[in-house]
Amino acid sequence: MDIRRNQKIAQQVERWDLYARLTPTIFLVGSLFLIIFKIIDFETAFYVGLVGFAFTAVVWWWWAIFTIKYLVTVLNRTSKNLQDTAIEISQISTEIEKIKDDT
Amino acid sequence: MTPNTYAIIKAATNVISGFSMIAIIVLGVAYMSFSNAFVFQDVKIEIVNNPVEQTRDIEFIMIGYKKHECNSTRVYGVAYAEDGTHSHDLNLFTKQYTRNTRPGEEVPNQWHMKVPDDMVEGGVYRVSMTGDFVCNYLIFQTEKSQTYDNILLEVEPR
Repeated sequence: MDIRRNQKIAQQVERWDLYARLTPTIFLVGSLFLIIFKIIDFETAFYVGLVGFAFTAVVWWWWAIFTIKYLVTVLNRTSKNLQDTAIEISQISTEIEKIKDDT
Repeated sequence: MTPNTYAIIKAATNVISGFSMIAIIVLGVAYMSFSNAFVFQDVKIEIVNNPVEQTRDIEFIMIGYKKHECNSTRVYGVAYAEDGTHSHDLNLFTKQYTRNTRPGEEVPNQWHMKVPDDMVEGGVYRVSMTGDFVCNYLIFQTEKSQTYDNILLEVEPR
């Protein structure tokens, strides 16, 4: 389940990366084109940009919070599991040493 | 597509995206600054020939400076009686104002307006002068309006 979720997060990061690389340029070129041909005025482009910027900021913010929360949970669980494993290995080593000493 | 080409395209889109973002932010801030700015700053308007005698027109003088290139499209005034009972429109210019004063420096401007025919009794008024403008800055253009209130006008009976 974790692996599937991790892959999902990796895909989401890829999508954010693509969005960040394409959206500003597409918006800028598209707006300039529409303004030059007088389809919209600068004020409309400004407010569309502002709404887009705010929407992106809010969506990204919540996505980042949930993702960080998930990653921290995974990190804690992994640390705990590693710690348990280290303790178990240490116990096994001690027992092996004891068996060696007995024989 | 080879990995090398992919890396180059990715880097190029990152750079283009960065510059686009800078351009959007700079244009957005410049537009906000432009659209929120008043047409005239440090502005003062006065009537210089109070009380206005029977045969004279109302003589206005204005000083102030414009931050941006703005051209006036309509200028009008309303004289409100000090007792609040009535008002008169002032829209008949007998001497025109300078239409498009230079931005960035204080340029005195003056104009004369005819005393309305129905202002026969004279009296003390408070005048509001309103100007409608079309302003330009860089690639932006917008319409603005600015009003200057409370200009003292004293008119002698006609």
